[in-house]
Amino acid sequence: MPNGEAAAAAVVEPPAVIAPPLLTRFRLRFAAISAQFFLAFMIAAFVALIALVFANKGGNETGAQLINGLYLGGIYALIAVGYTMVYGIIELINFAHGDVFTFGGMLSVWIGALLGKVGLDMTKLATSNFGGLVAALLIIFPLTMLCTGLLGVTIERVAYRRLRNAPRLAPLITAVGMSFFLEGIMFVTAGSGNYGAQKENWITGTAFTVHGVQVFWPQLFVILVAVIMMVALQVFVRFTRIGKAMRATAQDRDAALLSGININRTISVTFFIGSAMAGAGAVVYAIYYDLLQWNLGFKFGIIAFTAAVLGGIGNILGAGIGGFLIGLIAVFGSELIGGAWSNSIIFAMLITVLVLRPTGLLGMRVPDRA
Amino acid sequence: MPDIADPQARVDLPDTGRQTRAAESSAVLWLVLAGGVLLLLLGWLLPWFVEQTASGVGHSPMDVIVSSPTGIGWLAVWAMGICMLALLAGVGYDVFAQLTERATPFRWSRIRAGLAILGGLCVLLIFILVVTRSELVFGDQTPDALTDNAVWMMLTGFGLLAFSYGLRPWVVTHGGLAFTAVAFVVGGLFPLMFNQSPGFVVWGAQFAGIYTLLALGLNVVVGFAGLLDLGYAAFFAIGAYSTASLSSAAHGIHLPFWVIIFIGAAAAGLFGALLGAPTLRLRGDYLAIVTLGFGEIVPDAARNSLFGNLARPSTGGPNGISGVDSPAFPTHGHAIFDYGLFGANPRPYYYTILILVALIVVVLRNVERSRLGRAWVAIREDEVAAAATGINTVQTKLLAFAIGASVSGFAGAFFGAMLGTVTPDNFEFAVSVTALTTVVLGGIGNITGVIVGALLVSFVIFWVLPGLQEWMGTVGNTVGISGLSTIQYSDYKYVVYGLILIGIMLLRPSGLLPSRARKVELETGAESEPLAAVRETG
Amino acid sequence: MALLEVDRIVKRFGGLLAVNDVSFAVDTGEIVSMIGPNGAGKTTAFNCITGLYPLSGGDVRFGGYSLMGMPPHRITKLGIARTFQNIRLFSYMTAVDNVMVGEHCRMHAHVWDALLHTPTARNEERAVEARALQTLRKLSLERYADVYARNLPYGLQRRLEIARALASGPRLLLLDEPAAGLNPQEKVELMGVISRLRDDGLTIFLIEHDMRVVMGISDRIVVLDHGEKIAEGSPKEVREDPRVIDAYLGHGASEAMRTA
Repeated sequence: MPNGEAAAAAVVEPPAVIAPPLLTRFRLRFAAISAQFFLAFMIAAFVALIALVFANKGGNETGAQLINGLYLGGIYALIAVGYTMVYGIIELINFAHGDVFTFGGMLSVWIGALLGKVGLDMTKLATSNFGGLVAALLIIFPLTMLCTGLLGVTIERVAYRRLRNAPRLAPLITAVGMSFFLEGIMFVTAGSGNYGAQKENWITGTAFTVHGVQVFWPQLFVILVAVIMMVALQVFVRFTRIGKAMRATAQDRDAALLSGININRTISVTFFIGSAMAGAGAVVYAIYYDLLQWNLGFKFGIIAFTAAVLGGIGNILGAGIGGFLIGLIAVFGSELIGGAWSNSIIFAMLITVLVLRPTGLLGMRVPDRA
Repeated sequence: MPDIADPQARVDLPDTGRQTRAAESSAVLWLVLAGGVLLLLLGWLLPWFVEQTASGVGHSPMDVIVSSPTGIGWLAVWAMGICMLALLAGVGYDVFAQLTERATPFRWSRIRAGLAILGGLCVLLIFILVVTRSELVFGDQTPDALTDNAVWMMLTGFGLLAFSYGLRPWVVTHGGLAFTAVAFVVGGLFPLMFNQSPGFVVWGAQFAGIYTLLALGLNVVVGFAGLLDLGYAAFFAIGAYSTASLSSAAHGIHLPFWVIIFIGAAAAGLFGALLGAPTLRLRGDYLAIVTLGFGEIVPDAARNSLFGNLARPSTGGPNGISGVDSPAFPTHGHAIFDYGLFGANPRPYYYTILILVALIVVVLRNVERSRLGRAWVAIREDEVAAAATGINTVQTKLLAFAIGASVSGFAGAFFGAMLGTVTPDNFEFAVSVTALTTVVLGGIGNITGVIVGALLVSFVIFWVLPGLQEWMGTVGNTVGISGLSTIQYSDYKYVVYGLILIGIMLLRPSGLLPSRARKVELETGAESEPLAAVRETG
Repeated sequence: MALLEVDRIVKRFGGLLAVNDVSFAVDTGEIVSMIGPNGAGKTTAFNCITGLYPLSGGDVRFGGYSLMGMPPHRITKLGIARTFQNIRLFSYMTAVDNVMVGEHCRMHAHVWDALLHTPTARNEERAVEARALQTLRKLSLERYADVYARNLPYGLQRRLEIARALASGPRLLLLDEPAAGLNPQEKVELMGVISRLRDDGLTIFLIEHDMRVVMGISDRIVVLDHGEKIAEGSPKEVREDPRVIDAYLGHGASEAMRTA
């Protein structure tokens, strides 16, 4: 039977830390609010960044860096899409994706060389006239995208499919292994130095000038391609049956299975599209920069993944926005702190986003665990 | 809770803790047996193979051994040979008896043990004779490098085989002790073998030692606590840079090595906790990527000379810090204490790292069996239940990071002193992946396993891949594909790592020497939800 | 002052109000049961008390000290232990290891004691193992000390979870549906175990659906429905409370019963 009140007081030892109730409540509310205001914080920080550069270096420089950030962001966006789609559908960070991107770049060179052997000199075609350029692009883009897409599908088939129901550690380690495997192959094939992409003369010249800021054709090309691809992909996912299957599988795999969706095929298609986009990014990258390196995918991969997380993992539009944002942040950040730190800035960004607001800007995926 | 009525589930796991301990001990037995057989075969066949196809270079160990030894050596060699045959016969008889379910003769195990001891003594005798060069056991021929290696491998292989087979019951009941004994004997005598290129071999062994330390440390984070850390090289870097900064010309401070090594470990441990702190509430894959990010930031910071400027870079920038002191005993002004050991001779370095590894293994084993080790297992299994049972998950995870990182710090400190130069390029992502590969290959969560994994990976990287260059040359000549010799096999390092990781995860996720709990976890999909996820649902 | 005071707690999940303004108290040495239809918010209330869910409003006091904002392990250290509705043992650890984990918060050895295997650590480990075996013996589980938790039959797993909860030396034991899945014989044994624990000085607060168990051992009963407390009192009072009958059997059932 109940003992009486006096016993209760004597029985419990005081806790190690006695937090005053008001302070605790405040702490809990603050945590909740800071997550919600993340978006506002990001925008404010971003605007401050641009303003600082503007104040430091002047309008022209700012404008030029704006364009730089946008085209770099376009490439990141194209790669980020692959990460976000794969994570959305099987909750796996595909470490090998960045290396698929690099591989795509090298593939485009090899395809060019192959065609050259058959008599079709790609560079000559591309630099001859505008029609030739279009023809060259129409040849190189689909071929590269097809190859990288197939590579992505093969990787999934060989390495990830069997581990789909394994605890998260296993496919993660496999992904790291696959990434290193691809890098190793590229290291052996292409050597440790720069591997020329040989496309730098394809698109040259200034497109137009705005307020004294020059916009070059290659930059414009990158941005246009990225935006067009994003839009096309978004349309595909929203309005086609396969797109709907992909969205369904991403939300609830078992329900999708029960609805008659072929999960294996859907996942393969997802990998194909994501990798193909990376391939497109690779061609675009090759046209603007001339350097491919065996470990390029590593850096670009993490940066693109940061973009995907920033935009909201699982959300394609988010990946696009995230990509452009990260490009701008990287460029403006380097302006302020120095180029050697740009990677560290990105990683710091990644850590901040993951800790404060893991769902990102367009936060689509809510952890459905509890 | 997994369904206990599921028959498949019950098959995998032994029923009691005692059965598991027995299983783990017999795993050690199989390991030592397999190692012995492998070395024996490798030593025996490889030179023969190369010799047949090359132009008279290299002799098979058997040729060398039977070619006119004299006196005691002759006797020892023949005794060893007879022992080997007898042991083989014994194995055959054992297998026969098991298959036909006969009883073995009275005191069979004693006979077996006796044979083993005899064989071991012969090996020891040959060893002493060769090392002291008192008898040309190998006849009048000075064996070339390949044959020299082969002979030592054969001897070691035979020793292991005799030991594990002959003393089988003892090995099975005292698995840990047996492995330690073997490791110490082989490890201690190692520098005395390989007469042809002792410097290089011992140098390689030092790297193997460093990899072992890295594997042990990473095993604490990934294996014990279940946190996938992909930026492990960062702590290695911190250990190395601490050493370099505090015992070189860079800042004019010259602390003795024996002090530095602890400072490096402490610094790394501190950073382990710092860098681990933001990751505590994250899910497994995000945690991995964040640690990856840190693994990149630290070498970047070193490269860009954080806390310094161009005039006086604190970390030496891209060129790093050179001129790091070698370890030395403090002389206290008495010449008698100046052993002058750590010069060009790699042996003292080797013994230092051997002792270091031994100490760390002891410490980690202690932790594994303490309440902290139990807490790690609990958190890995079910974080929510662990917290409800009274475990401070934050503190426990931070300790995992800190302890794992400090082991890496030890390795880094030694690395700095060993090489004399520390540059940011030493700490690229490849180092983290190498550490991960050794842990995954050897067995996540199993101390013995990760040591084996590290030794195997080192063996492949330092002996097999460079060796392939030579051997493939002769193979190519035989088979007619000359191209085989032009391939730079050492470049395939990364491909090898990748294949190992993928292969192990697909075929045997728990590694070569699985740790019991991890084995079932990794293969049947048990996963714990993060506490933070549950607490943030409000 | 009661041992446990639940003071107008509120728990919201986004738009869903799972627990709404619930208050009750548990005195030292009592056995109090919380009942209610499925989805009434009972386990949520448990989770709020043990710190797994942060409270949206209200407060919980244990021995006079507020538990708000305390992390679960601190609450356990303070003296509240719990079991889970769907057994959450550490399946790949042996029974005795499970109970030794329970002792974790009572142990004092520091990290360096563990690293260096000092006599302090060694002695404490030995003492803890002895205590763990004793706890197992108290619940008749010592035969299974070296068996992996996942290999134990269901009823024994439930008992092991209680053993683990006891290991932390609690003053208050929270049991979440301890009788679920047990056959009648095991339920009787369970009731015996709970009574024995109370006689040893523990205060027990449990959620349960089986009315025989509830009526059999409870000193008082608290009834939840749709997140609100609708009744509280002795078993007899609650059994005859029309609101309770309505909640379980449907609105109007008490009317029907009275007029029948």
